[in-house]
Amino acid sequence: MKSRRFANLGSYLILGVLFLVVLFPVYYGLVGSLMGERDTNSFPPALWPKNGIHPENYSKALDIIPLGNQYLTSVLQTLGITLGQMVTSALAAYAFVFLNLRWRAFWFGVFLSTMMIPFESIIIPNYLLISQWGLKDTIAGLTLPFLATGFGTFLLRQSFLSFPMELRDAARVDGAGHFRFLFSILLPLSRPSLAALGIWSALSAWNMYFWPLLATEDPKHQTIQIGISQLQSSDSDSPGMVLAGVMLALFPTLLLVIFGQRFIVRGLTAGAVK
Amino acid sequence: MSSPVASTVGAEGRRERWIAIGYLLPALIVFGLFIFWPLVKSILLSVQGTDILGNPSGFVGAVNYTRLFSDPDFLQVLWVTFAFTVLTVIPSIAIALLIALLLQGRIRGVRFFRTAFALPFAFSVATASVIFGVLFNPASGVLNGILSHLGIDKVQWLTNPDLALWSVSGATVWMQIGYNLLVLSAGLGALPEDILEAARLDGASGLRLQRSIVMPLLTPQLFFLVVVGTIHSLQSFGQIKILTVGGPEDRTTTLVYSIYEQAFANNNSNYGYASAQAMVLLVIVLIITALQFGVLERKVFYR
Amino acid sequence: MISTTSSPSRGSRLRYAVPAVALSASLVLAACGGGSGSDGDSDGGGTGAPAADVLDKASGVTTVAFWHAMDGTNAEALDKLVAEFNAANTGKIEVKSTYAGKYDDAITKYKAAIQSKSTPDVIQIYDIGTRFMIDAKQTIPMQAFIDRDKLDVSDLQPNITGYYSIDDKLNSMPFNTSMPVLYFNKTLFKKAGLDPENPPQDLAGIRAAAEKLSKKGGGPADYGFGAAIYGWLLEQFIATDGKEYCDQGNGRDGKATKVLFDSPESVEVVKWWQTMVKDGLAANTGRDTKAAQAAFKSGQLAITLESTGQLGGFSKAAKEGGWELGAANYPHIKAGTEGGPIIGGASLWINGANHEDVQKEAAWRFVKFLADKKSQAQWHTGTGYFPISKGALNEPEDVAYRQANPLFDVAVKQLEGTKLSKATQGCLLGVMPQARKASEDGLESALNGTDAQQAMTKAAESLSGQISQYNSSVQ
Repeated sequence: MKSRRFANLGSYLILGVLFLVVLFPVYYGLVGSLMGERDTNSFPPALWPKNGIHPENYSKALDIIPLGNQYLTSVLQTLGITLGQMVTSALAAYAFVFLNLRWRAFWFGVFLSTMMIPFESIIIPNYLLISQWGLKDTIAGLTLPFLATGFGTFLLRQSFLSFPMELRDAARVDGAGHFRFLFSILLPLSRPSLAALGIWSALSAWNMYFWPLLATEDPKHQTIQIGISQLQSSDSDSPGMVLAGVMLALFPTLLLVIFGQRFIVRGLTAGAVK
Repeated sequence: MSSPVASTVGAEGRRERWIAIGYLLPALIVFGLFIFWPLVKSILLSVQGTDILGNPSGFVGAVNYTRLFSDPDFLQVLWVTFAFTVLTVIPSIAIALLIALLLQGRIRGVRFFRTAFALPFAFSVATASVIFGVLFNPASGVLNGILSHLGIDKVQWLTNPDLALWSVSGATVWMQIGYNLLVLSAGLGALPEDILEAARLDGASGLRLQRSIVMPLLTPQLFFLVVVGTIHSLQSFGQIKILTVGGPEDRTTTLVYSIYEQAFANNNSNYGYASAQAMVLLVIVLIITALQFGVLERKVFYR
Repeated sequence: MISTTSSPSRGSRLRYAVPAVALSASLVLAACGGGSGSDGDSDGGGTGAPAADVLDKASGVTTVAFWHAMDGTNAEALDKLVAEFNAANTGKIEVKSTYAGKYDDAITKYKAAIQSKSTPDVIQIYDIGTRFMIDAKQTIPMQAFIDRDKLDVSDLQPNITGYYSIDDKLNSMPFNTSMPVLYFNKTLFKKAGLDPENPPQDLAGIRAAAEKLSKKGGGPADYGFGAAIYGWLLEQFIATDGKEYCDQGNGRDGKATKVLFDSPESVEVVKWWQTMVKDGLAANTGRDTKAAQAAFKSGQLAITLESTGQLGGFSKAAKEGGWELGAANYPHIKAGTEGGPIIGGASLWINGANHEDVQKEAAWRFVKFLADKKSQAQWHTGTGYFPISKGALNEPEDVAYRQANPLFDVAVKQLEGTKLSKATQGCLLGVMPQARKASEDGLESALNGTDAQQAMTKAAESLSGQISQYNSSVQ
């Protein structure tokens, strides 16, 4: 058993090194956000706050960019995209599974093909469209292109397919129309898949970078992701303040990952489609 | 493509057909406006010139495309894109696999480690890039600080043309680890317990033996990660914009960054030329996706 | 600015379809109406000055939409000026200022506005967008107003208006203006045994000083010299040498057809810089201007090249770091050559196409107000930008400011001592932003070891396609 213990020790050692390397940026982001310029701007820079804790980095970050507005924009954008995707996906998945859809294979192909087209390859016409409609710097401009998703439709379709037919027929006999059946029976019973889709949509919407960069100009209407990248190029040279902004932007997704991992994994594995 | 719908006939059936279309409609409208129409428009833009305001200035045929492939800068863009993809996809999967396998062993505090290692997944490309920007700072960055303790001179992480792509790739690998780890851990968790147990009882606690038994069973996940990771890398933009703006000497200008530069940076509005590049991106992604569906198709969709 | 039609969090399921359908309808409309190409200014009077009394005849309040690219303290100073103008014109003119993003974003936004015929009445555009603004044919040249009013413009600094003029006709009103100077660390100079009152004037001088200043030669600084890989600096060297940056008289006799930054003079600068880096006398901090600034502020560099805009930041860093800051004229390639630096910054343009006469007139009054010596003194002291008005320098607040910041007079003297020529007017080129980037590509590649001539030639050639494409599309 000696060799086994030795191997275990080795595992711990490798794991420990990886732990330090992988977690270091997280650590420095958090601790650095509380460090003053005397710690961060000297060389070599401090690895922990040697000259006091500086929570005012957070208020400084709030001074430089309108983080409050940007937070709200990010929240509205995320909510809009998430709810939009859930509704359009649920409706479409319902049609695919429960309705007598003509040219089903064709429509299936249409939805499938949307997943193969990288948004970056069609971002120029989208940008032109949104500017032409005067929707730059609006929540509409930030959300509209993403209100439907092939991935979400297939995710919910998988879940609907496993719904017992007898239950559905019973509901129909009871006089429940399509709408009522979908929203008051089917969706509540598909909660885990819906949650997986929701978390997945919310994470990608919150973290979006390229599109909000193009679709907004006024700092007041930018999302927080753009905001923090502007912090970095602002005139101030206080890394602590920049990192404070990062921590603020990170907070919601950090909570999601720590407490919603179960659902994320479900979305990921169903996302084997993507 | 079977569906559990009882076939209905007559007026009732026709009505339901319309209802069905109605249910698809919201998604179809979004797709039509923001995916299919832009796709057509991209193709149209790519065969037109562009005036100084960004308006299409008339049909030019394949000029934008011939310009692309005769432009040595664009060949470099393709090379950088390829190198970036290789430098990010393979290491991020390898490291995640190593962590996943180590966590599969009988290790104390597995739950803690698992959550900790998944944390990078919470970082957006912007948050992670800004942090790495601080770490890479040549004058007062922590990375150079640590190196100085080891007696190593300051490294120009992002401005040395031979190093910048490696640095950006390193940051990207970090961003990818969390996701890859979650997928691989889920895959490992779904493996039959008796197989894992047998592997352990046989004394296969070392990485080498575990690898020979467990890894083949993870092939679907690994294949999936290679495909998804490749597509993801091809689409990468934020880290390049934030860390290097495509430099030094365009050595970190990938295809997507080049599209951005041609269309939106430096007062460029070369929508025609940029659209031609966008079509190249589309074709590359389509090829990779086709490859994926070729292998995974039956498994995932058609049951 | 949150559009109610698209806030899914509030709508019921049914409402979903409605905006989508409405949008698809508007798409059809847009597709029908939008394709007509650039909107030519067909009404004829669009780019001429209106009658002078048009505003006096008008009733009610005329609104002037003003897009600017200032943020932070600059935006605060600008907002204050706008508020003063509005207060002085209550009931007659109201200026509504909007931040349109940084320079590049503002010009992008402006392009979109041209297409949707919704340009603002006044827009601030960076220096290197000047040729584009002329070619876009949307604006009324300032000269039209000046001629109409027979205005005496002798108060405006000719070396500043020169940049925005062609054939002595002023196209736009210079606003925020900066100049390049040489900054140096007097304390490090003393430590190295150099005379801090006698800063280097040319390339050889910088090299000689750097040899004593750099760690490599036993000096007190990490590197004697260091500046960002910033195309603007190269443009300045060419101008101080009295040479032109692009052909056709720096784009002022006709549309420039090629850039000249692969000329022997320019290559000499690049080669000098390259050797300095190779010999460990200069730091290569990359293109990010902030990196070079930070290195200079922390005393790692003894000499740097930057704009007057950095004077405030550098002074503050010097005070905090306990060292003394010096400033001097921008270096020449060889001391004694006739030439001087080019101003940088941005100017104000009045849009004519698709604007009412009253708006044009109100816009002109606003621009005149901003160019006035009182406004300029306030602007200068509030932001550190160079005043475009000579008289501003004699305003009491400005005199006080320059007493507190004596180094600023270096820039004042430098500007006044520069003889206006095509070289110091600067190059007008439609693809100037791209040209600047290309020159940076060349410089960077040289600093990293490529042969200087080869690198600059390649960079210059890479622009030829873009220049001819631009020129053919604006004929």
